[in-house]
Amino acid sequence: MTASILDGIVLGLQFGVLAAGLTLVYGLGGVLNLAYGQIAVVSGLITLLTMEAGLPAVPAALVGLVTGGVLGLVFDLTILQPVYRRHGEARVLLSLLLTLGAAFVIDGYLNWRYPLQGLNLRITGDPLVILGVRMRMGSVVASGITIVVIGVLFWLFRYTRLGRAIRSVIQDEEGSRLVGIDPQVMMRLILVLSGVLAAIVAITRSMVAPVNVRAGFSLTVLGLIVTVVGGLGSIPGAFLAGLVLGIINSVASSYIGTFLSLIILLVAAAITIVIRPAGLLGVRE
Amino acid sequence: MLEVQGVSAGYQGSDVVRDVSFRVDEGETVMIIGSNGAGKTTLFRAVCGLLPLSSGRVTFLGEDITGLPAQKVVRRGLAFVPAERHLFPQMTVEENLVLGAYPDKPDSEVLETVLELFPRLGERFRQLAGTMSGGEQQMLAVGRALMSRPRLLVLDEPTTGLAPIVARNAYAALGRLQEQGLTILVAEQQVPLALAISDRGYVLENGAIGLAGTSSELASDPRVRSAYLGIA
Repeated sequence: MTASILDGIVLGLQFGVLAAGLTLVYGLGGVLNLAYGQIAVVSGLITLLTMEAGLPAVPAALVGLVTGGVLGLVFDLTILQPVYRRHGEARVLLSLLLTLGAAFVIDGYLNWRYPLQGLNLRITGDPLVILGVRMRMGSVVASGITIVVIGVLFWLFRYTRLGRAIRSVIQDEEGSRLVGIDPQVMMRLILVLSGVLAAIVAITRSMVAPVNVRAGFSLTVLGLIVTVVGGLGSIPGAFLAGLVLGIINSVASSYIGTFLSLIILLVAAAITIVIRPAGLLGVRE
Repeated sequence: MLEVQGVSAGYQGSDVVRDVSFRVDEGETVMIIGSNGAGKTTLFRAVCGLLPLSSGRVTFLGEDITGLPAQKVVRRGLAFVPAERHLFPQMTVEENLVLGAYPDKPDSEVLETVLELFPRLGERFRQLAGTMSGGEQQMLAVGRALMSRPRLLVLDEPTTGLAPIVARNAYAALGRLQEQGLTILVAEQQVPLALAISDRGYVLENGAIGLAGTSSELASDPRVRSAYLGIA
């Protein structure tokens, strides 16, 4: 039991980062990015190709992070431009359609050009014993990186001027304009950040299990489930929901079976929505 | 200081205000009075860059700011306090004030002045803005606007939803800002309050300026007396 809970925490931290990238973009601009998983996969693939070209893992991973950020920026500058011209529900809907289209195009290309590739970063080292459970070095390193990322995000949003500016746009866009903040610039920054977070998920995930080029949609769906349970637009909610669902997923996988884990996650999401429609930490409108 | 010439603006292609011109000089307090739906809010939103103009020109400090978005207008020294306040409800009073100075670091002297003007904000410094009373939120909205060190403070119906005594206190605070030399433009339905502190005024009726004059001229005008002051 302790082992599956620890595994669940490892997974849950990654779920949290995955969902944070989605929920920020939605909270800030009312845009749901269904190509989010594909950004993660492409970043992972570029990391792999860079390593195959002869670079060591750490610089290759940095190239992967930059790839994620650049992809976010490209989305902002291209297919999201018509989305920004719409407001409210029309904006959400158009963002769903356009990013879904982009996701299909990216998936198709990856399946055609790199059908068998998968990023698998093997971290060598003896297993570490935590609470009497032997944890693989890969899981420990992945969790360490993820915890640092969460810490940095927390510091950014809580204590920096830029972080406050971003939160102000989420809370009241017109108010933020009145104090001199350009919501469009904040949105661009958040899309870059979201792309980097997607890349971080792909890279840390590949330290635990291989991330293949077909993982895009399942990553997006996982991110959406965690986001909805945590409350759309809530960053702490994303991390809380990530941990809860990670543990549920891991415990269910080891006691019931892996084949049911996605269904169990969906059931957990459905129950949350029935009990708390705004999500765990979401703000009721 | 502010010159508005022939401004028309509205929503979905139909103009709510038509061909409105007025001006505010340095050091003055100017009011725009009018009943509900006269177009005061639309006019202010257009002047402050929250709403595109369909025609006309806005000049501020000698520069053309027509069509400049709100986030740039405030950096030129024109701070707008909307009637709905648009505070950041899940942030503390402190964070709201700090954001008022964006993108600069908050000036500690300005912050002190704001807390002197509204001691209540100091008492509630760490409280979330969304949990405060209407009067306190209005103080915070004005305080946040002052943090940008504006040359001109524009207020849209600052007394909306406030109890009469709270409304009078709000105007007392505006009076103190006026004494400190701040130029103020205020739209108001509660005309007696605005008349007491302003030098000049314009009456906005059905989206157009119907009457203009000094405050004493307006106070003695029979139309203003019957329509806005309740004196027959």
